[in-house]
Amino acid sequence: MPEEKKPEDIKKKGSGNVSRRTFLKDAGFVVGAPAIGTMAVSAERASAQDKAAGGQSGAGDVTAIRTEAARTIQLTVNGDKYRFAVEPNWSLRQLIRDEIGLTSPKDWCGGLGACGSCTVIMNGRPVLSCLTLACECDGAVIETAEGIAKSGHPIIQAYIDHNAFQCGYCTPGFVCTSKALLDRNGDPTEADVRDALGGNLCRCATYQQHPPAVLQAARELKKT
Amino acid sequence: MKTIKKFTHIDARTVDEAASILRAGNARILAGGTDLLGTMRFEVLPDYPEVVVNLKSIPGLDSIKEEASMLRIGALAKLEDIAKSDLVKKSYAALAEAAHRTATPHIREMGTLAGNICQLTRCWYFRLPDNRFNCVRKGGRQCYAVRGDNRYHSIFGAVKSCFAVNPSDTAPALVALDARIKTNKRLIEAENFWDMAIPGSTVLDADEIVTEIQFPKPAPGSRSAYIKFAIRKSIDFPIVNCAASVLDGNARICLNAVYNKPYRAAAAEEFIKGKRITEESAEAAGEAAVEQARALPGDRNKWKIQIAKTMVKRALLACA
Repeated sequence: MPEEKKPEDIKKKGSGNVSRRTFLKDAGFVVGAPAIGTMAVSAERASAQDKAAGGQSGAGDVTAIRTEAARTIQLTVNGDKYRFAVEPNWSLRQLIRDEIGLTSPKDWCGGLGACGSCTVIMNGRPVLSCLTLACECDGAVIETAEGIAKSGHPIIQAYIDHNAFQCGYCTPGFVCTSKALLDRNGDPTEADVRDALGGNLCRCATYQQHPPAVLQAARELKKT
Repeated sequence: MKTIKKFTHIDARTVDEAASILRAGNARILAGGTDLLGTMRFEVLPDYPEVVVNLKSIPGLDSIKEEASMLRIGALAKLEDIAKSDLVKKSYAALAEAAHRTATPHIREMGTLAGNICQLTRCWYFRLPDNRFNCVRKGGRQCYAVRGDNRYHSIFGAVKSCFAVNPSDTAPALVALDARIKTNKRLIEAENFWDMAIPGSTVLDADEIVTEIQFPKPAPGSRSAYIKFAIRKSIDFPIVNCAASVLDGNARICLNAVYNKPYRAAAAEEFIKGKRITEESAEAAGEAAVEQARALPGDRNKWKIQIAKTMVKRALLACA
């Protein structure tokens, strides 16, 4: 990604990095899907939606639903604006990792919503990116652990000071959840922290270190 | 991570439009998505939806407001917002606590109350990926829990041969608080909302969508409480949970995760009627609640009977 980014920049993946999938999308390929085309109601709606969203199919009356590049979305990730053509079955985690290239949303439970490792902050809420459809994130403002670290948030140093990780795999999820808590509640109690982190699992069992780390970050934030 | 198989995604603009898409064919509605997307990713069900209809695009369905005689919670209101609402905490304690004890903070930030009461069972035979057990709940011939590991299964018998339990945390609170569930077609009393369906868990028609959940404003002096037993404080589905509301010696008590649908403990209600709630009377009400309970052959789920009894007792004591 380029060094200098203006918020109004709308970025697409660089041309040096085009996968077959993005090529198909950018070229506005229409892929017919006879099995789905049997649902007349949805076919009409999906094509109407495409046009409304500025879809580039240009195919006039679409009789079959495009199974690829169904929707163009814009979203803000860590302050940078992106525009993507996404397929309906992409998760937000897939979009952030595979298309944007930010690898902090991890996968542990396999996409069940059971571990919290893929947590990102979306519109102020800590959410599971594995159970969020990318195509529903149009207009969303998203923060990942990379963005939190880059912004110099005190939660990062607090995690280091308190050794609140061992292998570190679950840490981005914890960091996002903690930051979302601190954004809403600048003066959390230990019970608040334990409650908020109840959906993040740590196989190394560093649980005891997290509340003091988050409380330290809260104190740091109050100083500023 | 397994990729979710392809489907067509439509943002519904109105409830009627969503219903018309449901009528048109093999479609599912999606609100929080925390249940549906898991079943799709792991292809839990025998049929895979061709179309997913997003309800979040319908405006005005996420409010939590109290009007003259009732609390109205829109179908898209998130569990975390309900749990944190001062309005709900003040007068509808059982609901606030039930919403707060549901799943994890992340899932509560995504999931809705309507989705929570419509979720599918967590029976591990039912939920095994790739539909490996085509059980009676999916239109198959048998309930695999009967001869298999049934430590979390029903203690009040089967419905249509299925011993799975309803896993909802909020459902018993709806029953205890005498809620009504409003759909695009009708108004359903909470107690009549659940049923063993294939593959669903409610009495809703294929094109019926919950739009609102209504709670009558509790009379002055009434109290309600929700108690959950689970191994972990967060994440876990209930092993047994119980909600109760008490007013002038009358109680409404509802257990869940003990039967195919939320189980109204009528015997316990009858027992406690007109009595003062004490350690002894609550204990005896708990005994009455599980009088009809039976463990499955092999007694693997027998422990749940003791827990159900204690949940009723604690819920009543919390209302004393």
